[in-house]
Amino acid sequence: MAQVEQFRYDNAIVRKFAYATMVFGAVGILVGLLAALQLVFPALNFSTAETTFGRIRPLHTNAAIFAFVGNGIFMGVYYSLQRLLKTNMYSKFLNEFHFWGWQAIILAAAITLPLGITSSHEYAELEWPIDLAIAAVWVAFGVNMFGTILKRRENHLYVAIWFYIATWVTVTVLHIGNNLELPVSMWKSYPVFAGVQDALIQWWYGHNAVAFFLTTPYLGLMYYFLPKAANRPVYSYRLSIIHFWALIFIYIWAGPHHLLYTSLPDWAQSLGTVFSIMLIAPSWGGMLNGLLTLRGAWDRVRQDPILKFMVVAVTAYGMATFEGPMLSIKSVNAISHFTDWTIGHVHIGTLGWNGFLTFGVLYWLIPQLFRTKLYSQKLANAHFWIGTLGILFYAIPLYWAGWTQSLMWKQFTADGFLQYGNFLETVTQIIPMYALRALGGTLYVAGYFVMLYNLYKTIKAGSFQAYEEAEAPARVATAGAHKGEHWHRWIERRPVQLLIGSTIAILIGGMVEIFPMVMIGDQVPTIESVKPYTALELQGRDLYIREGCISCHTQMVRPFRSETERYGEYSKSGEFIYDRPFLWGSKRTGPDLHRLGNKYPDSWHYNHMLDPTSMSPGSIMPVYPWLIEDDLDNSLLPAKIMALRTLGTPYAEGYEEEAIADAQRQADEIAARLRKDGIDGEGLEQKEIIALIAYLQRLGTDIKPAPQAGN
Amino acid sequence: MFKYILESAGNINWMAIASLLTFMAVFIISAVMAFRSQPAFIDRMANLPLEEPNPLNAENDRHE
Repeated sequence: MAQVEQFRYDNAIVRKFAYATMVFGAVGILVGLLAALQLVFPALNFSTAETTFGRIRPLHTNAAIFAFVGNGIFMGVYYSLQRLLKTNMYSKFLNEFHFWGWQAIILAAAITLPLGITSSHEYAELEWPIDLAIAAVWVAFGVNMFGTILKRRENHLYVAIWFYIATWVTVTVLHIGNNLELPVSMWKSYPVFAGVQDALIQWWYGHNAVAFFLTTPYLGLMYYFLPKAANRPVYSYRLSIIHFWALIFIYIWAGPHHLLYTSLPDWAQSLGTVFSIMLIAPSWGGMLNGLLTLRGAWDRVRQDPILKFMVVAVTAYGMATFEGPMLSIKSVNAISHFTDWTIGHVHIGTLGWNGFLTFGVLYWLIPQLFRTKLYSQKLANAHFWIGTLGILFYAIPLYWAGWTQSLMWKQFTADGFLQYGNFLETVTQIIPMYALRALGGTLYVAGYFVMLYNLYKTIKAGSFQAYEEAEAPARVATAGAHKGEHWHRWIERRPVQLLIGSTIAILIGGMVEIFPMVMIGDQVPTIESVKPYTALELQGRDLYIREGCISCHTQMVRPFRSETERYGEYSKSGEFIYDRPFLWGSKRTGPDLHRLGNKYPDSWHYNHMLDPTSMSPGSIMPVYPWLIEDDLDNSLLPAKIMALRTLGTPYAEGYEEEAIADAQRQADEIAARLRKDGIDGEGLEQKEIIALIAYLQRLGTDIKPAPQAGN
Repeated sequence: MFKYILESAGNINWMAIASLLTFMAVFIISAVMAFRSQPAFIDRMANLPLEEPNPLNAENDRHE
């Protein structure tokens, strides 16, 4: 019989992450509510750069994903890992480093994103110094987790830990892959890959950020906390093994479904579609495993708000993972993509799956940590119903908005013209749906604050025990001498084998899809007339990135008649070879801009950026007065030119020395045209708006016939 | 129907077929691994989260 050892679980680190989850959940959804309201009441952009939708939206997504869900993951992992392995965490220092490092990264994101410091890669917007900090903290988390696994008292690794391991290794690979960038300055960098290659890598990352940050770690939490809350084992442990391997293998391939009908080669799109459809099987296997865990306990689900939250969370997971594959079928995607359908789909996942599972875990965990009863079950039930209503009011109007807008985009008259030729008509039509969505968000927020109050009262009533006494037999004694060393060594190596197996599983898909795109030149046919951006256009492009225009505008005309009629020639992959980063976007709250160049006179853009409603009455686009007031900062321009040349953009040797003068020459020309149209102002040539106009007028013109300015 | 879905997905080339076969291999290996495990081991693993007693008795930790 093995000797029983005494040890103490570290609850202090779990409490820290729980508090951070509670705080950043509030921040994330409040910022989201602000963004939702801005689409209904544009005045809520406050005419200030830092609070404008284009900068608020990435703040919301980063806060929700990395601050709220991120801290939720760590809360659950630090609690369950210790108990599943019957040991305390490997290193107190790493606990603290991980916690405070992660919060510092969140703080850095909260400062830099509103300042417009962004790489524009969705969910990877943070600039390179913060990327390095993320890497350091993530490695610390990994060392702490593997250190704990290696000093465990339980021989076997429960399936939840497999999901944690796969999460760690995949996020590591994704983070490195999508943040390969060349710094220009402390807060500016350009990605190594351009155009279609950058797009493929970004959505390989973007999709798998959903898969391996919002899904696999939460599946690990589901496999631990659902049995704990229901007080019964998981329905089928065998199914969980198949669920794990099938899910992590397939998930990594599905990224290209974000790029259907774009300039991405067809073979990559097809792979994305096929694997997305296959993804239903393991996802539903996991969902059913979760729901069936409650077999014979449904009477408790009616009474217990914790189980209610968990059931709706798992159901939302099932809905989202059915809908996702459906949206990956090209004919469905042709309708859904770039519309609010995607936003509705995503929020079933985040509000339902991540949100509700987190709430269930918090309602279970806080009373355990503070050794007291939950303050009020009635309030928890109220939260459940308010939150569920909030999700319904959030998602259903957005589905309706998505279908409505997409059908309007594609509607032709009997004579063959676009029925809604003015894009704005398709936006004003769905503003009531945006208002209902904001109502749904308000309900969700209200429910959240009910939870915070309930948990606060619970905490006040309880007494926290930072270190919980525990005991378990030492692991070393369980390896029977008669069994020989081989078996024992195999067990010891098992976490490493799991790590290697997971790494191989997730690398196969990424390599098959990305390597041909990056290594084979003819995957991106070049077009002779496509030239690098001028110095001023480049500056304008960086302003477009800074302002987050990508949040609402795509630069990807798909090969549909409804799009070529509206925007012009469909987009070719060869047009983007100098686009670092690519700016195809994923949502059209405003129209596509890829063929915007030479469509309107310079003065139209000037007035439109100053007050969009002056050119487009009823527009919900924010105003950008600071672009007209602020001087363009050219100090980094030479460094930008050199960085881009290093990455392969064919700027002539020595151009960096002329770049500022060249930019000024082009600015003078644009300012002269503006003055001709009656727009004047002191130092007009120096203003940021001039650079932005230069960029907007360049868009899509490399393969566009003769200019039609003034038409 | 599945054939139609695949066809409408675009050109299904050898890479997609090879990928499907690779997945089948992963699926079959994991299924074999899962079903060859001893029932006692599976049962023990499934009950692992429940081995650790909750600091609070789940039945008594809520009022009202």
